[in-house]
Parts: sequence; C-alpha cells; structure tokens
Amino acid sequence: MLDLLGFGGRGWGLQLLQGMGMTVLVAVSAYLWGLLLGGMAATLKLSGHRGGRVAADVYTTIVRGVPSLLVIYLLFFGGNSAATWVATLLGFNGPVELSALPVGILAVGTVSGAYSAEVLRGGALAVPHGQVEAAKALGMGRWLTFRRVLLPQTLRYALPGLGNVWQLTLKDTSLVSVVALVELMRVAYLAQGATRQPFLFFTTAGLLYLGLAGLSGRLFARAEVWAGRGVRRAAR
Amino acid sequence: MGPDEFRGPMTQSPAVAVDDQANTAILVRDLHKRFGETEVLKGVSLTARDGDVISLIGSSGSGKSTLLRCINLLETPDEGQVWVNGELIRMGRDRRGQAVPADRRQVDRIRQRLGMVFQGFNLWTHMTVLENVIEAPVHVLGVPRPEAVDRAKALLDKVGLSQRQDYYPSQLSGGQQQRAAIARMMAMQPRVMLFDEPTSALDPELVGEVLRVIRQLADEGATMLIVTHEMAFARDVSSHVLFLHQGRVEEEGTPDEVFGNPRSERCRQFLARRA
Repeated sequence: MLDLLGFGGRGWGLQLLQGMGMTVLVAVSAYLWGLLLGGMAATLKLSGHRGGRVAADVYTTIVRGVPSLLVIYLLFFGGNSAATWVATLLGFNGPVELSALPVGILAVGTVSGAYSAEVLRGGALAVPHGQVEAAKALGMGRWLTFRRVLLPQTLRYALPGLGNVWQLTLKDTSLVSVVALVELMRVAYLAQGATRQPFLFFTTAGLLYLGLAGLSGRLFARAEVWAGRGVRRAAR
Repeated sequence: MGPDEFRGPMTQSPAVAVDDQANTAILVRDLHKRFGETEVLKGVSLTARDGDVISLIGSSGSGKSTLLRCINLLETPDEGQVWVNGELIRMGRDRRGQAVPADRRQVDRIRQRLGMVFQGFNLWTHMTVLENVIEAPVHVLGVPRPEAVDRAKALLDKVGLSQRQDYYPSQLSGGQQQRAAIARMMAMQPRVMLFDEPTSALDPELVGEVLRVIRQLADEGATMLIVTHEMAFARDVSSHVLFLHQGRVEEEGTPDEVFGNPRSERCRQFLARRA
C-alpha cells in the first residue's frame, strides 16, 4: 500500500511533493503580501490621519470577521465576473477566468494581512516612547527613525504573534484547493479519490503540513532570538 | 501634516534682529505651553550665550523639563519663539489651530545641533553601545563608518566606557548607560547640550560618575542647559541659574546670587527644603 506514496508507476509521491511546493509558494507569497498590507494598515491605524484609520479599521474588522473561504470565493468568482465585465466593455466576448494562483495568493494574503495588522500595531505600541524620542532628538527624520529604531523594536514585540499568523496562513492555503489550485490538499484529495485510500493520503498530507509548520516554527524561533538581541542577554 | 495645511506663520521673523545674537546659542522668548487645561509654561524667556552653563531648578511641575523639551521641539510650544544659533524655529498652525513646526526639515536640522540627554537614558536597546554612538553620525550626517567608529571609541574612552563598547544597554548599570547616552549625544558634536534630569533615575552611588562627566564637558567650554535636582552640582558648575515656579522664571542670576542671596521668597523656601 505504501508504494502509493512512492515515486513508482502507481505512486503519488511526485504529485505530493509538487503540491507541497505549491502550498509553500502560496503560503510564502500570501504571507509577504499580508505583511505588506498589514504593515500599511497598522501604520494607518497608528497615524493621526482619521480617514486612513477608519479605512484600516474597516479592512481588519471585515476580513477578520468573515470566513477565509468567503474571501477566496469573493475574490475568485467576484474577480472573474468583474474581469468578464471589463473584457466585454473592451469588446472581447466570452467569460474570462482568472488564474487560480495569483487570486489565491491575493485572497489568502488579504486575510493574513488583517491579522498581521493587529499584531504589528500591538508591537509598535509596545515600543517605549523614549526610544523614538532619542532618535528625534538626534535629528533623525521620520523615515530613518522608523527604519532604524521603530521597525526593529516593533519586530521584537511582534514576532511571536507574526509566527502565529504564519501558521494560520499556511493552513489557510488549503482553502485555495476549492478553486482547483493543485496544492497539497488538492493532491491528497485527488489521490484518495483515485486510490480509495482516504486515510493514507489525508494522514500523509497532515504529516507534511505538520513538517512544514515545525520547520517554519524553528525559523521563527531563531528570528525571535535575533530580534530580541540586547534583551535576551539581560535575562542572566 | 503637509506644509500646505497651516494658515500662516504664528510668529513673524522680526525685521530687526532680536538683541545682538552674535554669540547667542539659545534665545527663548515668551514661551507658552499648555497640556489640556493646564498651562505649564506661562511666558518664559531665556538667553544662553556660547559657553554658558545654565541650570534650571524648581520643584516638579514647575515646567523646567517642558521648557527644555520645547527648545528641541520634543514638545511643541503653543506660543513664543525659540532661536538656535540665531535661527528662528518657524512655527505654524494646523487645521485645528494647534501650533506645529512649519518645516520639519528645519526641526531635524536644528536638532542635530542640540544634543539631548534624557532622565531615562533612552539608549536603543537593540544596538550595542558602539552602535548607539555611531548611529546618528553615520545615518544623519553621512560620516563614513570607520571614521565614526574611531570617533565613537574616543568618546567612549572619554566617558570611561571603552571596555563596554560591545555591550547592550541592558547589560550596563544606570550610570554606565547614562554615560553612553552622553557619548551618543556628543558624537553629533552639538553646539548646545540639553540635560533633562540626567541623574534623577540613578541609584545615589551612581550619580557622581555621571556628574563628573558633565562637569568635565562644562570645563571644556560646552554650552549647556541642565535641568537638575542636584543643588550642590548646579551651584558649582553653572554660570547662571534659573529658578522656575509654576511656569514662570521666578528668580535668575549667578549661582552665588540665587543660592547665596535669593530675592524671591519662593526660591528661598525651595532652597531651604533642598538644603
């Protein structure tokens, strides 16, 4: 039975590995896109600009309040009909279908970003004000102060939470299988359908997800040590 | 807030120079500052000439720290003017009528000339002592890193921390942290140094090492404004002393005048309590 997991004639090994590669690709891209969105949203929330603050609040409230699956459906099917409408306006006929990969990344990243925003905001608020004042008093401009002082210290406080968001994002990629993107979950589903071995393939997929989560967890642990430099050593 | 958002200068540059500002490091004119309903500064003026060491004394809440923080715009004064080396810090008002600096770049530039030492040190905790000291010279002034490192080492040697350059702030005592913060401030070669209660957060036995460094800088001719509760030190090191009370300058003069023969009753009482 285990030859079904191998790389031989009946084996699904190659497909499983490719699916896992796709899962990693979607997860990493979505996470980075989410960090960008979340960073912008957190900045807006902390800014004195009222309109920006409201916009960011609307984003995080809505996206965190509805199921991730709904966001994926909305962006994929909604995106398809919007694209078809635009194409019709431009004189093209027939339905347009968006590619599942970019839409999947966009959707999962948009969800991820809403959580990152709150984590980053909390991290920035935890930085003592004197750290920023010292930079100002030395004539450092806003961007320099942000880049050299506020951001590194925000990351120190935000990294544990960001690691959490990463794990959620990694698991959320499985939802993209509903729009036929062939990632790990989709491969497992296809394989168990073809072989009638659901237990084998779903267990395997689960172990592969766990492996990815464990590996990335260790990377985050190392990042936390790095970001906490100067503080961890104080705990003598 | 963009520069387009303010309604016009709160203070016009005077057509004639205020006094003769040739040797004037800091000139403060009729400064007002309000926190909500509380008016913390009620029209304070101050002149510091090059080489002056001016101590600001007074009970807590008298406005002395706020005055210092208004000079480098860490607090924004509501009314009044501040000149640094003869350059007026231009102020405007935002939409809600709050005073704001008219030109952030001018503020950044002026801050480069004004060193500040905080009560709580405020060393950057994610950087070593050496990294703290070279940060602003390298990234603000564009000093090449090797040169900045050489200068930083000389400064750390001067404040007695040459053995600690690779330590993180959290590994140092309060006195060592404050001396590192002084080195960081000096690395920008400021024209004026502002000390905001530099020893108030220190254990008593660590106060001396910090005061010794400040005294040495004063002896070398640095221009300083010092907010302090160390009366003996203020009397000893200052060229002028200002006693603030409830947001006004209640008494000012040489240390001998203020400490030896205070004219105002409040100053007399304050000093008696401190003695």
